[in-house]
Amino acid sequence: MADSKKSNVTRRMLLKAGAAMPFVGIAAPGVLAQAPLKSPTKVHDFMTNADVAKAELEGQLVFYCHENEPGTAGIMEGFRKDFPKINTSYVRAQTGALYNKILSERSAGRFDVDVIQLSDLAPAVDFQKKGGYEQYLSPETGAYKADHLSTPAGSFFWTGVDPAGIAYNSVKVSAADAPKTWQDILNPRWKGSISCKISASGLQFVQWYTLRKLYGAGFWKEFAKQNPHAFDSRVQLFDRLAKGDDMITAIGEYPAYILFKDKGAKVEFVAPTDGLPATPLIVGAVSKAPHPEAAKLFVDWAMSKRGQAWYQTNPNLYYGSVRTDAPPMPTGVRLGDLKLLYPADWDDYAANRDVFAKEWNGMLGL
Amino acid sequence: MEATQALVSPQGPTPHIEVDRLELYYGGVPAVRGVSFKVFPGEQLTLLGPSGCGKTTTLRAIAGLEQPTAGEIRIDGVTVYSSEHRVHIRAEKRGLSMVFQSYAIWPHMTVFENVAYGLRVRRTGAAEVTEKVHHALDMVQMRSFASRRASQLSGGQQQRVALARAFVFSPSVLLFDEPLSNLDAKLRADMRIELRELQHRLGITSVYVTHDLEEALAMSDRIVVMRDGLIEQTGTPDEIYRLPNSAFVADFVGSANLIRGHHRPDLDGGGLIALETSAGHIVYGMAYGRPVGTEPVVSVRTVHLRISTEPPVAAQNVWRVPVEQTVFQGDFTQVHVSWGEQHLVARCAAMEPLAVGRDVYISIEPRHVVILGA
Amino acid sequence: MQPARSLISAQKIAGYGVAAVTAVLVLYPVFFLLQAALDVGDPQVRPPTAYGFDNFDGILQYPQILLNTLTVSVAATVMALVFGFVMAWILTRTNVPGRHLFEQLMAVPYYLTPLLGALAWSLLGAPESGFINQIWRALGGNGHLIDINTAYGIAWVMALFEGSVAFVMIAAVMKSMDPALEEASQIMGASRLRTMLRITLPLVVPGVLGAAIFVFAEMLGSFAAALVLGTPSRYYVITTAIYQLVQQYPPKIQIAAAMGVSLFAVMFFMLFLYRRIVMAGSYVTITGKAFRPRVADIGALRYVLLGVCLLYLFAAVGLPLITLLYASLQKIAVAFPAAGNWTLENFRVAVTMNAVRSALANSLLLGFGTATIGVVLMGLLAWLIYRSRLPASGLIEYVVMFPQAVPRLVFAFGLMWAWVVFPIPIYGTLWLLLIAYLTVFLPLGVRTIAGVMLQIDKSLEECAQMCGASWGFRVRTVTIPLLVPGLVAAWLLLFIASVRELGASILLMGPHSKVITPSIVESWFGTSSELTAALALIQTLVVAVAMIVLVAVTRRVGAHPVD
Repeated sequence: MADSKKSNVTRRMLLKAGAAMPFVGIAAPGVLAQAPLKSPTKVHDFMTNADVAKAELEGQLVFYCHENEPGTAGIMEGFRKDFPKINTSYVRAQTGALYNKILSERSAGRFDVDVIQLSDLAPAVDFQKKGGYEQYLSPETGAYKADHLSTPAGSFFWTGVDPAGIAYNSVKVSAADAPKTWQDILNPRWKGSISCKISASGLQFVQWYTLRKLYGAGFWKEFAKQNPHAFDSRVQLFDRLAKGDDMITAIGEYPAYILFKDKGAKVEFVAPTDGLPATPLIVGAVSKAPHPEAAKLFVDWAMSKRGQAWYQTNPNLYYGSVRTDAPPMPTGVRLGDLKLLYPADWDDYAANRDVFAKEWNGMLGL
Repeated sequence: MEATQALVSPQGPTPHIEVDRLELYYGGVPAVRGVSFKVFPGEQLTLLGPSGCGKTTTLRAIAGLEQPTAGEIRIDGVTVYSSEHRVHIRAEKRGLSMVFQSYAIWPHMTVFENVAYGLRVRRTGAAEVTEKVHHALDMVQMRSFASRRASQLSGGQQQRVALARAFVFSPSVLLFDEPLSNLDAKLRADMRIELRELQHRLGITSVYVTHDLEEALAMSDRIVVMRDGLIEQTGTPDEIYRLPNSAFVADFVGSANLIRGHHRPDLDGGGLIALETSAGHIVYGMAYGRPVGTEPVVSVRTVHLRISTEPPVAAQNVWRVPVEQTVFQGDFTQVHVSWGEQHLVARCAAMEPLAVGRDVYISIEPRHVVILGA
Repeated sequence: MQPARSLISAQKIAGYGVAAVTAVLVLYPVFFLLQAALDVGDPQVRPPTAYGFDNFDGILQYPQILLNTLTVSVAATVMALVFGFVMAWILTRTNVPGRHLFEQLMAVPYYLTPLLGALAWSLLGAPESGFINQIWRALGGNGHLIDINTAYGIAWVMALFEGSVAFVMIAAVMKSMDPALEEASQIMGASRLRTMLRITLPLVVPGVLGAAIFVFAEMLGSFAAALVLGTPSRYYVITTAIYQLVQQYPPKIQIAAAMGVSLFAVMFFMLFLYRRIVMAGSYVTITGKAFRPRVADIGALRYVLLGVCLLYLFAAVGLPLITLLYASLQKIAVAFPAAGNWTLENFRVAVTMNAVRSALANSLLLGFGTATIGVVLMGLLAWLIYRSRLPASGLIEYVVMFPQAVPRLVFAFGLMWAWVVFPIPIYGTLWLLLIAYLTVFLPLGVRTIAGVMLQIDKSLEECAQMCGASWGFRVRTVTIPLLVPGLVAAWLLLFIASVRELGASILLMGPHSKVITPSIVESWFGTSSELTAALALIQTLVVAVAMIVLVAVTRRVGAHPVD
């Protein structure tokens, strides 16, 4: 609050100065009107360029998210706690389906979404090209490296990272038999008892792309012989793992591992030394949003330390934060401690989308 | 073939209802194939015939519940249906009234409300409704049931309520669609008389449909006998009974023996016609103004055939024949005799049993031997 | 009396108005579905740039799916018929104790959604974690006793629930058979078995055949069981394949539409056959004279058959509910839980989840809306088709029958496309779901109300006519009061159907219009099975309470439920 008072005083002084010169008096308002927005205000403990009062007047936030139901509800819960006057509603679907949905709605002239979170960089870049994101530079942007923002900045940012290793049921699989490297998932002993995610999943795409680059195109063709079961959400994968329906999962997400371990499930996590494929979780305000101020407010909240803490500690999320000043995850591990595998060339990655979809769906019988 | 109107004595010069060359086909199936008759004010005309003859269809066409294919219907001089002029007035606008075979009592209303319905439709004032409904219920002796739920009534009680409902709003015409056929025999007989009395008291023109001969004979001023969508004969009950003009009517309206023969004009005389059967019997009968032709058919009512064990006094139409069979029927006994190449059936009042094979004398008065129309 | 010219009567206005509304409701989405199926241009561009039949060729790339669909449908139909026939025989032809109670109870599997059964049987029969298999292994068995994630597993669950539909149809056939026909056979000295084989069965066969065709058509379009049980083992049938194709990225909308249209064509043909065989043209089974069928005294065998009835109800209703309860009370559901595994947490979370509360509220609200508007709309339609003499009535009957031949999911597809371009913004709202429900329930509602309507003697209305009542007056004072029990029954049926609806809702839900049954499915795929079990039980409880309240209220009003 003190900061904004200071800026107001400064502007007032400018105005007074401007009024002294008759020409500037006419020109001054024009000049000031074209200045990039007003200065950021502080709300709770973070800075926002959104008009908080207006956002609360809008009273609504419509959120499209790839997360599973409790996860998406969890994110909304965090926002609503800080801004109770804003009612939240959401639609969740796996990234691929979600992106379908918003595109077809927009092509039919429907603009009902305020913020969208995707688990895949490729559709995010695509959406940016289509002008789907609102260009909004958050005052919190400074806390992020350029790699973790859109190019140019202002379309979206990385709200978290979801790394995946291998996980297995410790009752059915002894420590000796447990997989240690990525090649181990090709072991025929796991045939028919191994799970992965569906092709609409951003993380699955990243894993496919990065491991393919590491081990060659034959890797996944071998994997197909394992007759894996594919599912939509990491919770499902771990649910089956915990109950013994599958012995191992080829894409054991670290957040899910933490969650199920807390519940007392007999599951173990393996981080192969070659690295953990990880996908960024992308948040951005949508253009032509029905509640634009609320959208901007949410982006600022999500980017802030406060929002990031929520993302990182909520049991249904447990994301790893890429904020430069983020604390370690609840388990004590920092993202920086893990060897993360990202696609080196994001454009090549995006171009391979169709190849992946075809191969993966073919493997799954569709 | 229709008897000429000359035999009928109209009760008034202008008919109340006129049905003119009415035809009704369901899809390609004919139900009524060209029917014409008149109903005069205050009379009860009955449409009589076996099932499928088209009588109910004709009635419903008059009511407006069926859409005829051709013809005209006029009520009180107003055309309510005409195929030529494309007129069809809806049933609710014809101002008629009807009693249905199933009574059509509305189970969700009380007896009072059932009867009051027609008055309420006509927006009659509450006081008048109460008065008229009570009056109507009195006439059918159902006053004490006024507040009873209609679904709790017996068949006979429902029938009375249906009746009261039908005349409470003083319609000019009452249509009856076999209203007594669902009642047991005893009740039917009683209701027949009551209905007739009621009709006379109210003086309403009625068109009545039934397949029951006794009912038709007891209640009607005139009867129209129908078969297969056409009219066989129109006349008073007495005319139809005594002077049937076709084999069908003869046998339908009471039971009859049919005798075929060859006209013997040489034996005619004294107002009587003679015909000779193939077995050589000479039968004397009366023409009643009908053309005789060369091969006339005569009808003899079974009740007119006398059976006696002693030779009768009469000279003509007497034969001695063996008994084939007797059937005891309570009020009467049916005796089958063998006569030449055919059988004759006689209905006699209860008599001592006759042994099969035994010879008896049959005799028929010539005036009871009726020439049938062609 | 004035001569009648072609006056525009209230009757005609109501008739044509309703007909027009129905035609739009049904045909508008079908048009879009066909359009999508024939679209061979760029899928992102609408309206389509090019038309062709290539998509139908595309279907042939998935022969396994077609085979799967046939296998499951045939197996499920056979099983459902067996259940239905056996139960119908037992309950209408033998003197099993409690016959009438059981007849009422046979409707319960229909009220519980097949989704519930699928969830429960998944918990029971999954090869590794299924309770039955755990018990089997504890008893010393090897591997698994049953694997519910197979074609026969899916068929079993579908048959358990569709069995009650088959029962109703076959029981009706048995009740409409004149017992004198069998008595004649017995008097001539034929044994009971011979009578059954030579007289009863041949008489019953046409009706059973009709039921078979109807059930088969329903199985082709069924979704819930295949979704829950088939997806884990990648066993797809046409409906789940369509769902997956739509959810994929990039989506294969055109092939999905082509699949949908093909399925529609097959089902339409089956239902056409059904009408020919059973109903000789009319859509409603006209109950003629009802006979009282001969009930055989089977002595002590009664108690065995009683056991059979109880067993069926247990498998279809009791066991699933118990299983769900058992699972919902555990942290991680197993057959032999340790002491520390019990928890009420799942219920606490389920009840406090905002999404659940709003979904339940939406479902109940939508149920009320659909039932109330539906009864009026479908009542008018039933009258229009079966009682009025307007010339369009035959055509309208066909249009009303359309949605029966289209699987809900496929229809929702068309609805999605149709209403997203509609100028009035109903897309993504509860209104869209309302329209969808009204459309897909047309056959159900019209059939139910027409059945009751036809039982009302025409003469009751004709008599009102003869008393001078205009159409409006007599509909108000005679027709509607007599229809009330039937209308109430239809209302309840529509309420239940809309709360348990899955196929259409899952595609049409929006952020503000979540409903409960798809939410349970989403929970199954996105959260733990224990939480899902808790959710499913809560849904069942809420619906059961709503039903009890409604039935109690209508009993008070004086109406008696029509079977």
